[in-house]
Amino acid sequence: MKKKLLIINGPGLSDLSNFNEFGHDNLTLEKVQKKCLETCDSLGISVDFCQTDDQAELSNYLLKASKEFDALIINPAAYSNAASLDPDLYASNIEAMANQKKPVIEVHIANIFQKGVNINSPIKASEGNVGFVSGFGIHSYDLAIRAVNKQLSQKS
Amino acid sequence: MNIFVINGPNINLLGSREPEIYGHDTLDSISKECIEQGLKDGNNVKFMQSNYEGEIVEWIQSAIKEKIDVIVINAAAYTHTSIAIHDALKSFPGLKIELHISNPHLRESFRHISFVSPAVDAVVAGLGADGYSHVIELLADLQRS
Repeated sequence: MKKKLLIINGPGLSDLSNFNEFGHDNLTLEKVQKKCLETCDSLGISVDFCQTDDQAELSNYLLKASKEFDALIINPAAYSNAASLDPDLYASNIEAMANQKKPVIEVHIANIFQKGVNINSPIKASEGNVGFVSGFGIHSYDLAIRAVNKQLSQKS
Repeated sequence: MNIFVINGPNINLLGSREPEIYGHDTLDSISKECIEQGLKDGNNVKFMQSNYEGEIVEWIQSAIKEKIDVIVINAAAYTHTSIAIHDALKSFPGLKIELHISNPHLRESFRHISFVSPAVDAVVAGLGADGYSHVIELLADLQRS
Protein backbone atom coordinates (compact mmCIF):
# COMPACT_ATOMS: atom_id res chain seq x y z
CA MET A 1 0.00 0.00 0.00
CA LYS A 2 1.16 3.51 -0.79
CA LYS A 3 2.42 5.55 2.14
CA LYS A 4 0.35 8.65 2.85
CA LEU A 5 2.01 12.01 3.36
CA LEU A 6 0.25 15.18 4.49
CA ILE A 7 1.83 18.54 3.61
CA ILE A 8 0.36 21.45 5.60
CA ASN A 9 1.03 25.09 4.75
CA GLY A 10 0.17 27.56 7.48
CA PRO A 11 -1.09 31.14 7.57
CA GLY A 12 -0.04 33.54 4.86
CA LEU A 13 1.35 30.95 2.48
CA SER A 14 -1.35 31.39 -0.16
CA ASP A 15 0.69 34.36 -1.38
CA LEU A 16 4.43 33.69 -1.80
CA SER A 17 5.31 36.96 -3.56
CA ASN A 18 6.98 38.33 -0.42
CA PHE A 19 9.70 35.68 -0.78
CA ASN A 20 11.03 37.54 -3.86
CA GLU A 21 13.22 39.67 -1.61
CA PHE A 22 14.96 36.53 -0.33
CA GLY A 23 15.88 35.45 -3.83
CA HIS A 24 13.05 32.94 -4.22
CA ASP A 25 11.49 34.68 -7.21
CA ASN A 26 8.08 34.15 -8.77
CA LEU A 27 7.07 31.41 -6.37
CA THR A 28 3.42 30.51 -6.10
CA LEU A 29 1.78 27.92 -3.88
CA GLU A 30 0.51 26.22 -7.06
CA LYS A 31 4.11 25.78 -8.24
CA VAL A 32 5.10 24.35 -4.86
CA GLN A 33 2.13 21.98 -4.93
CA LYS A 34 2.90 20.84 -8.48
CA LYS A 35 6.53 20.13 -7.58
CA CYS A 36 5.54 18.24 -4.42
CA LEU A 37 3.04 16.11 -6.34
CA GLU A 38 5.67 15.31 -9.00
CA THR A 39 8.29 14.34 -6.42
CA CYS A 40 5.84 12.19 -4.42
CA ASP A 41 4.62 10.58 -7.61
CA SER A 42 8.16 9.65 -8.65
CA LEU A 43 8.74 8.10 -5.20
CA GLY A 44 5.40 6.26 -5.10
CA ILE A 45 4.00 8.21 -2.15
CA SER A 46 0.41 9.49 -2.03
CA VAL A 47 0.18 13.10 -0.85
CA ASP A 48 -2.43 15.58 0.37
CA PHE A 49 -1.29 19.18 0.02
CA CYS A 50 -3.20 21.85 1.92
CA GLN A 51 -3.00 25.45 3.07
CA THR A 52 -4.97 27.28 5.71
CA ASP A 53 -4.98 30.67 7.43
CA ASP A 54 -7.34 29.43 10.09
CA GLN A 55 -6.09 28.07 13.43
CA ALA A 56 -9.03 25.75 14.03
CA GLU A 57 -8.62 24.26 10.58
CA LEU A 58 -4.88 23.89 11.16
CA SER A 59 -5.58 21.99 14.40
CA ASN A 60 -7.95 19.71 12.49
CA TYR A 61 -5.29 19.00 9.88
CA LEU A 62 -2.78 18.20 12.63
CA LEU A 63 -5.22 15.79 14.30
CA LYS A 64 -5.92 14.18 10.94
CA ALA A 65 -2.18 13.84 10.33
CA SER A 66 -1.60 11.67 13.38
CA LYS A 67 -4.67 9.50 12.69
CA GLU A 68 -4.75 9.07 8.95
CA PHE A 69 -1.27 9.73 7.61
CA ASP A 70 2.15 8.05 7.75
CA ALA A 71 4.17 11.25 7.64
CA LEU A 72 3.82 15.02 7.98
CA ILE A 73 5.62 17.93 6.37
CA ILE A 74 4.58 21.28 7.81
CA ASN A 75 5.43 24.82 6.83
CA PRO A 76 4.01 26.62 9.87
CA ALA A 77 4.86 30.06 8.43
CA ALA A 78 3.49 32.72 10.75
CA TYR A 79 1.76 30.16 12.97
CA SER A 80 4.46 29.57 15.53
CA ASN A 81 4.73 33.31 16.16
CA ALA A 82 1.09 34.28 16.02
CA ALA A 83 -0.02 36.09 19.16
CA SER A 84 -3.26 34.15 19.45
CA LEU A 85 -1.68 30.76 19.00
CA ASP A 86 -1.71 28.02 21.59
CA PRO A 87 1.86 26.73 21.31
CA ASP A 88 1.14 23.74 23.57
CA LEU A 89 -1.70 22.50 21.40
CA TYR A 90 0.48 22.93 18.35
CA ALA A 91 3.49 21.16 19.90
CA SER A 92 1.40 18.34 21.37
CA ASN A 93 -0.07 17.50 17.97
CA ILE A 94 3.37 17.44 16.41
CA GLU A 95 4.60 15.28 19.29
CA ALA A 96 1.68 12.86 18.88
CA MET A 97 2.83 12.26 15.34
CA ALA A 98 6.54 12.03 16.18
CA ASN A 99 5.86 9.70 19.11
CA GLN A 100 4.22 7.22 16.76
CA LYS A 101 7.61 7.23 14.97
CA LYS A 102 5.94 8.84 12.00
CA PRO A 103 8.32 11.21 10.20
CA VAL A 104 7.63 14.90 10.83
CA ILE A 105 9.61 17.61 9.08
CA GLU A 106 9.22 21.37 9.47
CA VAL A 107 10.02 23.26 6.26
CA HIS A 108 10.49 26.91 5.39
CA ILE A 109 11.02 28.56 2.02
CA ALA A 110 13.51 31.15 3.31
CA ASN A 111 16.21 30.73 5.97
CA ILE A 112 14.22 31.90 8.99
CA PHE A 113 17.38 32.73 10.91
CA GLN A 114 18.57 35.34 8.44
CA LYS A 115 18.19 38.96 9.40
CA GLY A 116 14.88 40.30 8.22
CA VAL A 117 13.05 37.00 7.92
CA ASN A 118 12.11 36.82 11.58
CA ILE A 119 8.81 35.13 10.84
CA ASN A 120 9.01 32.52 13.53
CA SER A 121 11.04 30.15 15.63
CA PRO A 122 11.28 26.41 15.03
CA ILE A 123 8.71 24.00 16.48
CA LYS A 124 9.31 23.47 20.18
CA ALA A 125 8.26 19.84 20.58
CA SER A 126 9.62 18.30 23.74
CA GLU A 127 9.35 14.69 22.62
CA GLY A 128 9.95 12.85 19.38
CA ASN A 129 12.22 13.85 16.57
CA VAL A 130 11.20 16.62 14.18
CA GLY A 131 13.34 17.32 11.14
CA PHE A 132 14.01 20.86 9.96
CA VAL A 133 14.69 22.25 6.48
CA SER A 134 14.87 25.99 5.85
CA GLY A 135 16.12 28.22 3.04
CA PHE A 136 16.09 26.12 -0.14
CA GLY A 137 13.03 27.83 -1.62
CA ILE A 138 10.73 25.38 -3.37
CA HIS A 139 13.45 22.74 -2.91
CA SER A 140 12.98 22.76 0.89
CA TYR A 141 9.87 20.66 0.24
CA ASP A 142 11.72 18.40 -2.16
CA LEU A 143 14.46 17.65 0.35
CA ALA A 144 11.86 17.00 3.07
CA ILE A 145 9.90 14.60 0.82
CA ARG A 146 13.06 12.63 0.01
CA ALA A 147 13.95 12.47 3.71
CA VAL A 148 10.41 11.31 4.59
CA ASN A 149 10.61 8.64 1.89
CA LYS A 150 13.95 7.39 3.22
CA GLN A 151 12.65 7.28 6.79
CA LEU A 152 9.48 5.45 5.75
CA SER A 153 11.45 2.89 3.75
CA GLN A 154 13.77 2.23 6.71
CA LYS A 155 10.75 1.70 8.98
CA SER A 156 9.03 -0.92 6.87
CA MET B 1 30.67 21.47 -8.68
CA ASN B 2 33.26 21.40 -5.93
CA ILE B 3 31.73 20.85 -2.49
CA PHE B 4 33.40 21.05 0.92
CA VAL B 5 31.66 19.15 3.71
CA ILE B 6 33.17 20.49 6.94
CA ASN B 7 32.52 18.79 10.28
CA GLY B 8 33.29 20.12 13.74
CA PRO B 9 34.26 18.71 17.12
CA ASN B 10 33.34 15.20 18.34
CA ILE B 11 31.87 14.21 15.00
CA ASN B 12 34.80 11.79 14.64
CA LEU B 13 33.15 9.85 17.49
CA LEU B 14 29.97 9.19 15.47
CA GLY B 15 28.64 5.68 15.87
CA SER B 16 29.85 5.39 19.45
CA ARG B 17 28.88 8.83 20.82
CA GLU B 18 25.31 8.85 22.21
CA PRO B 19 23.91 6.65 19.40
CA GLU B 20 20.34 7.27 20.66
CA ILE B 21 20.79 10.87 19.48
CA TYR B 22 23.30 10.60 16.65
CA GLY B 23 22.65 7.09 15.30
CA HIS B 24 25.01 4.25 14.50
CA ASP B 25 26.53 5.55 11.28
CA THR B 26 30.23 6.33 11.50
CA LEU B 27 31.94 9.36 10.02
CA ASP B 28 33.70 7.07 7.52
CA SER B 29 30.44 5.60 6.26
CA ILE B 30 28.84 9.06 5.93
CA SER B 31 31.92 10.39 4.15
CA LYS B 32 31.89 7.48 1.71
CA GLU B 33 28.19 7.97 0.99
CA CYS B 34 28.63 11.71 0.33
CA ILE B 35 31.57 11.19 -2.00
CA GLU B 36 29.71 8.46 -3.91
CA GLN B 37 26.53 10.55 -4.16
CA GLY B 38 28.67 13.43 -5.46
CA LEU B 39 30.37 11.24 -8.07
CA LYS B 40 26.99 9.99 -9.29
CA ASP B 41 26.04 13.58 -10.09
CA GLY B 42 29.49 14.54 -11.39
CA ASN B 43 30.32 16.59 -8.29
CA ASN B 44 33.54 16.54 -6.32
CA VAL B 45 32.99 16.22 -2.55
CA LYS B 46 35.79 16.83 -0.06
CA PHE B 47 34.78 15.57 3.39
CA MET B 48 36.63 16.99 6.41
CA GLN B 49 36.46 16.88 10.19
CA SER B 50 38.35 18.79 12.85
CA ASN B 51 38.10 19.26 16.58
CA TYR B 52 39.88 22.62 16.26
CA GLU B 53 37.99 25.85 15.66
CA GLY B 54 40.96 27.56 13.95
CA GLU B 55 41.40 24.71 11.53
CA ILE B 56 37.74 24.97 10.51
CA VAL B 57 38.17 28.72 9.96
CA GLU B 58 41.22 28.00 7.77
CA TRP B 59 39.28 25.44 5.72
CA ILE B 60 36.55 28.01 5.07
CA GLN B 61 39.23 30.50 4.04
CA SER B 62 40.79 27.94 1.71
CA ALA B 63 37.34 27.36 0.18
CA ILE B 64 37.28 31.07 -0.68
CA LYS B 65 40.77 30.91 -2.22
CA GLU B 66 40.11 27.70 -4.15
CA LYS B 67 36.77 29.05 -5.42
CA ILE B 68 34.80 26.12 -4.01
CA ASP B 69 31.13 26.25 -5.04
CA VAL B 70 29.40 24.97 -1.91
CA ILE B 71 30.20 24.58 1.79
CA VAL B 72 28.09 22.18 3.82
CA ILE B 73 29.00 22.74 7.46
CA ASN B 74 28.17 20.80 10.59
CA ALA B 75 30.02 22.97 13.10
CA ALA B 76 28.72 20.75 15.94
CA ALA B 77 29.26 22.43 19.33
CA TYR B 78 31.07 25.40 17.73
CA THR B 79 27.70 26.25 16.13
CA HIS B 80 26.64 27.73 19.44
CA THR B 81 29.87 29.52 20.33
CA SER B 82 31.95 30.49 17.32
CA ILE B 83 31.79 34.03 15.99
CA ALA B 84 35.05 33.21 14.14
CA ILE B 85 33.28 30.55 12.06
CA HIS B 86 30.33 32.94 11.52
CA ASP B 87 32.73 35.61 10.19
CA ALA B 88 34.62 33.18 7.96
CA LEU B 89 31.35 31.92 6.45
CA LYS B 90 30.23 35.50 5.81
CA SER B 91 33.27 35.99 3.56
CA PHE B 92 32.60 32.86 1.53
CA PRO B 93 30.68 33.93 -1.61
CA GLY B 94 29.37 30.50 -2.64
CA LEU B 95 26.35 28.56 -1.42
CA LYS B 96 26.46 27.75 2.31
CA ILE B 97 24.41 25.11 4.07
CA GLU B 98 24.31 24.42 7.80
CA LEU B 99 23.67 20.80 8.71
CA HIS B 100 23.00 18.96 11.96
CA ILE B 101 22.32 15.28 12.50
CA SER B 102 19.88 15.93 15.35
CA ASN B 103 17.59 18.96 15.66
CA PRO B 104 19.36 21.34 18.09
CA HIS B 105 16.14 23.28 18.68
CA LEU B 106 14.58 20.25 20.37
CA ARG B 107 17.54 19.78 22.72
CA GLU B 108 19.14 21.70 25.60
CA SER B 109 18.54 25.46 25.53
CA PHE B 110 22.28 26.12 25.10
CA ARG B 111 21.92 24.59 21.62
CA HIS B 112 19.10 26.90 20.56
CA ILE B 113 21.37 29.74 19.48
CA SER B 114 23.33 29.21 16.29
CA PHE B 115 25.98 31.66 15.11
CA VAL B 116 26.13 29.67 11.87
CA SER B 117 22.43 29.98 10.86
CA PRO B 118 22.40 33.74 10.08
CA ALA B 119 25.57 33.34 7.98
CA VAL B 120 24.28 30.59 5.68
CA ASP B 121 21.70 30.24 2.92
CA ALA B 122 19.91 27.19 4.25
CA VAL B 123 19.67 24.99 7.33
CA VAL B 124 19.02 21.24 7.54
CA ALA B 125 18.65 19.48 10.89
CA GLY B 126 17.21 16.38 12.48
CA LEU B 127 17.31 14.15 9.40
CA GLY B 128 19.93 11.87 10.92
CA ALA B 129 23.11 10.91 9.09
CA ASP B 130 21.02 10.67 5.89
CA GLY B 131 20.82 14.47 5.95
CA TYR B 132 24.29 14.62 4.38
CA SER B 133 23.51 12.55 1.29
CA HIS B 134 20.09 14.22 0.91
CA VAL B 135 21.84 17.60 0.76
CA ILE B 136 24.49 16.39 -1.72
CA GLU B 137 21.72 14.97 -3.92
CA LEU B 138 19.69 18.20 -3.68
CA LEU B 139 22.73 20.25 -4.73
CA ALA B 140 22.74 18.35 -8.04
CA ASP B 141 19.01 19.13 -8.46
CA LEU B 142 19.65 22.82 -7.75
CA GLN B 143 22.43 22.84 -10.33
CA ARG B 144 20.11 21.34 -12.95
CA SER B 145 17.18 23.69 -12.28
